[in-house]
Amino acid sequence: MRRLWIIFKSEFKVWRHDPITAVGGILPPALILIAFALLFGGRLSFKVAVVNQDQGFLGNVLKQSFDEVNSPLNNVPYYQAIDMNLDDAMGAYESFKVEGVWVIPPDFTQSIEAGKKPDLHMYFNNYNDDRAKNHRIYSAEIIWYFYKQVGYPDPPIEIAETYPLTEMVDWVPVIAVGVALLSVCLGSIFNIYALTHKEQISRMTLEFGLAPRSLAWVLVPKVALALIFGLFSGTLFLVAIYAWLGFWPGEFIWAFWLLSGLTALFWIGLAIIFGLRARNYMAGAIAIVLTAIIVFFIGGGLGLIRYHAEDVQWYSWLFPNTHAIDPIRDLVLFNTWPVDWNITLFKLVAFSVLSLSIGVIFTTRQLRRLG
Amino acid sequence: MRRFVLLLKNEFVLFRTTIPVHIIGIFQPALMFSLMALVLVTPVFDMQVSTPGAAIDNELVSAMQDVRSPIGPVYINPILVDVSPGEEIQGGQLIEFVGNEGERTAVQRFGLIDSNMVKNFRNRLTSAALVLWNESLESKAISIKQVPWLPEDIPYSVYFGMAMMPLAAILASALIGAFLTAQEFEFNTIIEYRLSPTPVYIILGSRLLRLSVTGMLSGMVLMVVVGITTGIWPSSLIWIVAILSVVALIGGSIGILAGLILKKVLPAFLIGLALSFFTWIMGSAFGLAAGFSGPYEAVSRIMPNTYAVELLFPLYYRVEIGSKFPAILFLSISSLFVVLITMLTFQKTVLNKG
Repeated sequence: MRRLWIIFKSEFKVWRHDPITAVGGILPPALILIAFALLFGGRLSFKVAVVNQDQGFLGNVLKQSFDEVNSPLNNVPYYQAIDMNLDDAMGAYESFKVEGVWVIPPDFTQSIEAGKKPDLHMYFNNYNDDRAKNHRIYSAEIIWYFYKQVGYPDPPIEIAETYPLTEMVDWVPVIAVGVALLSVCLGSIFNIYALTHKEQISRMTLEFGLAPRSLAWVLVPKVALALIFGLFSGTLFLVAIYAWLGFWPGEFIWAFWLLSGLTALFWIGLAIIFGLRARNYMAGAIAIVLTAIIVFFIGGGLGLIRYHAEDVQWYSWLFPNTHAIDPIRDLVLFNTWPVDWNITLFKLVAFSVLSLSIGVIFTTRQLRRLG
Repeated sequence: MRRFVLLLKNEFVLFRTTIPVHIIGIFQPALMFSLMALVLVTPVFDMQVSTPGAAIDNELVSAMQDVRSPIGPVYINPILVDVSPGEEIQGGQLIEFVGNEGERTAVQRFGLIDSNMVKNFRNRLTSAALVLWNESLESKAISIKQVPWLPEDIPYSVYFGMAMMPLAAILASALIGAFLTAQEFEFNTIIEYRLSPTPVYIILGSRLLRLSVTGMLSGMVLMVVVGITTGIWPSSLIWIVAILSVVALIGGSIGILAGLILKKVLPAFLIGLALSFFTWIMGSAFGLAAGFSGPYEAVSRIMPNTYAVELLFPLYYRVEIGSKFPAILFLSISSLFVVLITMLTFQKTVLNKG
């Protein structure tokens, strides 16, 4: 045990020589989170020009509806409507300064009052089908609100909604938890590489290969330290999320550590295969790190996947992150115990045991054979 | 010139010593696109609806078929389910019908989902209910004539792949540049440059040219993958080569700078990686910057990816989105600037040292 402690302490000193790699679980996720916060955390209203040619008053009511109908996403209006004349509006549209143009015709009020099926023209950008879809379905919210405002007969069926919490959880916190898990994984990966880099440079792998004792003395402290630093990175992220967005797992923090730690062990197992092999060391590091980032994107990093499990591709389920992410969100965002806790835990244990076993066996064989 | 050619040749020969790194640097972005393209948002949403109990409920379900793109897919896939009161909601939301005939309400019950999902579900239900309201209003209903910009809605994967091409170019050149430069310090081969009488612009010029070609190749691989998977190809290959070479030059300079300053492979790789992904997400990765918030657009204006995407856009969509001049000017000035900074850093950390 004393020997293990001595090795543990000596490994710890590696971080003093390479502090930037030690924060490998913090820097890339932090930049990714900042970028997504700027992308999806700001006002996401569609900027459109509204050309109100109506000679009556209903055109103004419609125009006002754009400012009064809020999206649940960040609780801002769906549209940022700008008053323009037709020429300016079309010029702005063609040069992509606005995403769409709504033209309210001169006889709008008159047509409504006369029951002559008033027409609106909606010019919009459809360079991607998702934004085109939004233009179409946002317009329904505006028209629905307008009908209510002008006192049209009631709809044949009303609509209402209920949400299980008093406050709706926004998109950025959902992404932030995904980034926290990425942080644990990248922290572990970068640190296991930092802990094996010295051996690569000084060719100490030969000494390992010739060592009379079990290689577990070498590998266990490295794995443990990489895991600790990965969890440390992720916990720092949680603290940042708490300070910024107000979400904290509270009494479930240990459950966060357990799920994310098991996920990180899977990545450590993969990383260690290359970590002690000189020829493919850096290629392995790049491949594993990029794979972890890809898994963040395809394994629920950007959105809840429990309700879209059928849209998740089979290869995403080959990584523990996809299984762990929504239970972790339950703990951090909703402070509720995941309904699928037992099965998730079982899967993550299986992933980590399998990966670590393969990693350690493969690495040991390589070291003993090649040095 | 002869020295430059020799150095350039040597740079390309170095490829043989780091084949796995090159393969990963060049092909990983294409793999990333291939995997991500399949999980990108699609306009079609499954929506759970409790079994209709009245005629109007059935009409609402039928109206869901009318919530669609006239030139594309239906936006709602209604799934009828039998749910007992208080039962857990499957699929994130459930539409239940309450009230008597003539006073019917479709109540959308959400599970623990985020506001973006709520928005998507809510908009679709409103659209379906509006179809019925418009029918009941008859000639008083407002008709919206849709005039889309392009003759058909272009799949998101086309834009996403196009916007990933600058990432591919920057990532490959930055990672390989960082790796090669830092390795020179770790293996102490940097001393050869220090002792060499060759001027800095020849040494770095050859490395930057080779990194620019490598990055451009990575972007081109992605272009081929996007073309094969979506069937949409750019209108000019020369422009693609030019745009990707310039952004790869910027990526290569950043990678070399990281290697020169940090002198260690892992941290240099880390910096190259972090900056590549940051410039990608901030550089119109998920949509043209003008369509997002003011702060996002402001920051995106200092990202080379934003300008690269603006130059790539007309090649893919065959429509102009304003003058090309600002984008060309920004990319020219920024690439010259980072190359200059790299040369000065090389001069300071390598040639003037000791």
